[in-house]
Amino acid sequence: MIPIQHFLVLSSILFSLGIYGVLARRSAVLILMSVELMLQAVSVNFIAFAVYLSPEQFTGLIFAIFVITIAAAEVGLALAIILRIYRNKATANVDEVDMLKW
Amino acid sequence: MVGMEEAWLIPAIPAAAFAVLLLVGKYLPRRGDWLAIGAVAASFVLFFPVLIDLLDEVDQPGFAGVSSGIDWVKFSLPTGPDFQLRLGFHVDQLAIVMLVVVSFVALMVQVYSTGYMKGDPRYGWYFAAMSLFVASMLTLVLADNFLLLYAAWEGVGFCSYLLIGFWHERRSAAEAAKKAFVTTRIGDVGLLIGIILLWREAGTFDISEIFEFAENGGYSAEYLTTAVLFLFAGAVGKSAQFPLHVWLPDAMEGPTPVSALIHAATMVVAGVYLVARMLPLFELADPVALNVVTALGLTTVMISATMGLVATDIKQVIAYSTINSLGLMMVALGSGSVTAAMLYLFAHGFFKALLFLSAGSVIHATERQEVSQLGGLAKRMPVTAAVFALGALSMAGIVPLSGFWAKDEILNVAGDHQNFVVYGFMMLSVFITALYMVRVVILTFLGEPRDRGAQEHAHDAEPAMTVPLLLLAALTVVAGFVTFDGVGEALGFPGGFGEFVFSEEPEAFHFPLDVAVLSTVAALAGLATAFYFWSGEAEPARRAAETFRPAYETLKRKYFVDEVYQWAIDRVVLVTGGVVAWFDRNVVNDTGVDGTAGLGVFTGFGMKFLETGKLPNYALAIVTGVIVLAIVFMVVRV
Amino acid sequence: MSYEEVIFYFVAALTVLGALGVVLARNAVHSALFLILALLAVAGVFILLSAEFLAIVQVLIYGGAVTILILFVMMLTRVRDTPSAAGELDGPQRPFAALAAGAFLAISVLAALATDWEALGATEEINPVPFEELGEALFRNWAAPFEVASLVLLVALIGAIVLARHEEGE
Repeated sequence: MIPIQHFLVLSSILFSLGIYGVLARRSAVLILMSVELMLQAVSVNFIAFAVYLSPEQFTGLIFAIFVITIAAAEVGLALAIILRIYRNKATANVDEVDMLKW
Repeated sequence: MVGMEEAWLIPAIPAAAFAVLLLVGKYLPRRGDWLAIGAVAASFVLFFPVLIDLLDEVDQPGFAGVSSGIDWVKFSLPTGPDFQLRLGFHVDQLAIVMLVVVSFVALMVQVYSTGYMKGDPRYGWYFAAMSLFVASMLTLVLADNFLLLYAAWEGVGFCSYLLIGFWHERRSAAEAAKKAFVTTRIGDVGLLIGIILLWREAGTFDISEIFEFAENGGYSAEYLTTAVLFLFAGAVGKSAQFPLHVWLPDAMEGPTPVSALIHAATMVVAGVYLVARMLPLFELADPVALNVVTALGLTTVMISATMGLVATDIKQVIAYSTINSLGLMMVALGSGSVTAAMLYLFAHGFFKALLFLSAGSVIHATERQEVSQLGGLAKRMPVTAAVFALGALSMAGIVPLSGFWAKDEILNVAGDHQNFVVYGFMMLSVFITALYMVRVVILTFLGEPRDRGAQEHAHDAEPAMTVPLLLLAALTVVAGFVTFDGVGEALGFPGGFGEFVFSEEPEAFHFPLDVAVLSTVAALAGLATAFYFWSGEAEPARRAAETFRPAYETLKRKYFVDEVYQWAIDRVVLVTGGVVAWFDRNVVNDTGVDGTAGLGVFTGFGMKFLETGKLPNYALAIVTGVIVLAIVFMVVRV
Repeated sequence: MSYEEVIFYFVAALTVLGALGVVLARNAVHSALFLILALLAVAGVFILLSAEFLAIVQVLIYGGAVTILILFVMMLTRVRDTPSAAGELDGPQRPFAALAAGAFLAISVLAALATDWEALGATEEINPVPFEELGEALFRNWAAPFEVASLVLLVALIGAIVLARHEEGE
């Protein structure tokens, strides 16, 4: 019997690695991959809560389905933006794109 | 059929004419003067069906006028009763009297103006502004609630400002317009405070509802007294009562027809009308309120009459006589008689407009208005001289002109309700009034011309100006007879003027012979004294001025009221203003506004370097924030 | 230690390994391959949680479409695929990133372990949700969000095409 804490800790580790990747990586594509890791962590959490805490309603499962759906849309859009930036600036490294500066 | 319900049409027509003149007046033939005159004529014609409708219903017991209108804006307040803005019009006997005076005199003045203002570069604008004035004045007369009344009140004040300063290239005209506006504004603030005080307790702006509320004891006596005295402050400003009378003589800088309409027949009597309308409130209040009205009215009568004795500008003399008349009406109201005040207002509208318009003819013909440069005009302008003399005698109260009957009525009520000091001063004022009115007639029209060059081309004016004079002269003769029961009944009214216009009980016509004889004697004495002093070379007058030099100087300098005000403005207003300005400049502006802005600029300059533009930095900041929030949440929660 | 636990630790280890590879690899393409590993391992976790449907969807969408897309974009944007010196793929704020991630992990694990889940109604065992119920719920109770999600997908599709296509003269 696996207690719920196991899944939660796994999800925490996955999410923290995602955070590290988002903050440490320079390439926009790699940052996007780290974001995917964070989304996976969230899905694991949702499903764990659904099957342990409220099996009658399983809202978490439904949420996980939507997370996957939106993530697919998000990846498509984000990659299009990255392509656009690469074409305009000849780089996909986020720290070289600093047009927001004062 | 137009009845009392459709009374709103009367002010609406001139208002529409104003809008048209303002927008397209330039392109109309004759700059649209016919439109302005047509609108006023329509208002005057519409008056008759309204009057007939009123006469049908006035016999019914408890008749208190007919209201009609629309609720314009209405919303609930979190505290207290609903707030309501209403466009409502109320027709009763009081309003009817004002309506006929305003619309008829306005019509006469507009026709006269086509001659007087001919060739003026702002001819079209003149008629537009006059239309706006007529619309505002008629709204003021008909308003059934205080808010509409106040809006119209300010509207006529604004038009007065525009028209006094009509020739604003002249510095004195611009100054006079400003003075009139600011001085009346002091009273207007009082009026607004009074209105708010009445509304605060009653929760309504409707005049008849406020009356009902007051009659049921809704206001305490002290509260009501305070409120009506504030209302009276508005009347003091508008009707040029002491101590706010100073603007009216200066207002003579405007075109003479404007003086005739606004500063004689209509706007200045708005204060009298207001007090007459509110007289039920004054009577419910402490007697102090009506005593204040009487006292200020009497003061006004005396100072204006004496100043009229020494004024040398023909228009200013008439202006002082107007202030004098307004004071008389206030005394009548202070004695609790709406009948006397309104009868005088009715008669005064005609003969004072007549005086101003005939003075305007003199000015038009000679381009002089100082009496020292006039004289002997009767030969060259016989019609003008005749009608001016008629107006002056009416003002002086010579039987049987309308001024006599009206003044007699006021003397009656003053004798009945006031002590003998008031009565004595009133009689004295009759004497002085006759004295200065006859003086101006002598100096202008009799004797030898003092400035022959100015009179070479002087002659009676064209028909457009003469016909209104003759009509007004006719009314000056007959208007007073409405006081007789027989005349009133013949015209279809319930009886004489007192049976038709009254505050509580109809006042039957009464005519104590002693008052009439006494006032006639006083007036004739004034007339004779005037001839003694000023006929021929006016040697006795000059000697009297030498003998009583301090008194003469005091009158010449208008009792130093202007000087006192000037001193107050220089020493109090400007000094206070200087302190406030210093505070505003240094504390509010430099420290407060500029300081806050400077702080923003400074911190912004310092903090802009935090913005690296690199997304990873922002992401790190977000994550840091999340962590800090999570820690705070856990610490607080656990 | 039950066999379920053995499987869990195995799958969890694979997941963590994949994730570590994603964020630490010196080669971008390796990173993407590690992502596939992590995603498939998470699909295994889903099966352990008796969410078989989601596991299948995970493999189809993530393991297939998403990773292929990512590899394509890597090719198009010429992310270096050769091993490179340290700092080439990572930015200068790597130490802070490690610190933040560590702090977050500590807080998160603390929260997971300190909470009394039984008191919140957690069961000892996994309660499997039948396929049919899931489908019914998705198309009955959650029909409106479902439709909105499809609209979002459509808009994202159009947006991606507009953003990514070559303009005239480019």
